[in-house]
Amino acid sequence: MALNVTGQSDGAVATRTNLEEHVDALYRTALRLTRNPADAEDLVQDTYVRAYRYRNRFQEGTNAKAWLFTIMTNLFRNRYRRVQARVPEERIDDPRQDFFIYEHLRAGGLPVHLQSPEDTLLGREISPEIVRALEELPAPNRMVVLLVDLEEFAYREVAQILDIKIGTVMSRLHRGRRALQQKLWRYAREAGLKAVPS
Amino acid sequence: MSEKCRDAERRLHEYVDRELSAAELQVVARHLDECPPCLDKFAVQEHLKRLVKLHCQETAPSRLRKYIRGLLP
Repeated sequence: MALNVTGQSDGAVATRTNLEEHVDALYRTALRLTRNPADAEDLVQDTYVRAYRYRNRFQEGTNAKAWLFTIMTNLFRNRYRRVQARVPEERIDDPRQDFFIYEHLRAGGLPVHLQSPEDTLLGREISPEIVRALEELPAPNRMVVLLVDLEEFAYREVAQILDIKIGTVMSRLHRGRRALQQKLWRYAREAGLKAVPS
Repeated sequence: MSEKCRDAERRLHEYVDRELSAAELQVVARHLDECPPCLDKFAVQEHLKRLVKLHCQETAPSRLRKYIRGLLP
């Protein structure tokens, strides 16, 4: 396990305080990884049990949040390796798919500026659809999307957390985002959201 | 679509994730200033990124916090 995660410095040893402050971040990511609150709670509990057990391996001046996410994503991968069915991927290796929603908005003669708060593609109404779309992504892509978009780790940090190459971080991120757009568009349309033409 | 558009599009993800070097960022930003369609395309991706964050803001249950606090004396 790569425990020596360097990054933005918290400038501290793994004290109780600087580990505990990341519990909400770990939990919200765990929820999207495990897809249910009971398993998410278990995963975060076990992450802290491990973190405290191996606390002496945490190096001063390294990033406590990244260290905790390293432990949690390792636990998740070991535990759910077989459980999570692989959802067949759609045509997402094509970079043109980066603009799936943009092209559909344009084709529907809709404004592509998704800036107003009442916009249903950005507003609260879309919540069940975005959660569903995210949770359906294959786990490797989902982990990268969550670490980048939700937790705002740099690509370099994600590579260290998941022990993969930066190029792999990027290809999983691109695939994840493309699939997310397609699913989101479909579910929003099914839900009859008004910004989305059928 | 021009070659400049294609160059910018290749940097879409790194741009929204603030992963570009200052020099690369300047090239993309300059293109977005002069190309409204690309500006819109990039804006949609930025909104998608925000959407993920906006809709994943659950907080840990108090039971979990209590358990974690109890792990160390």
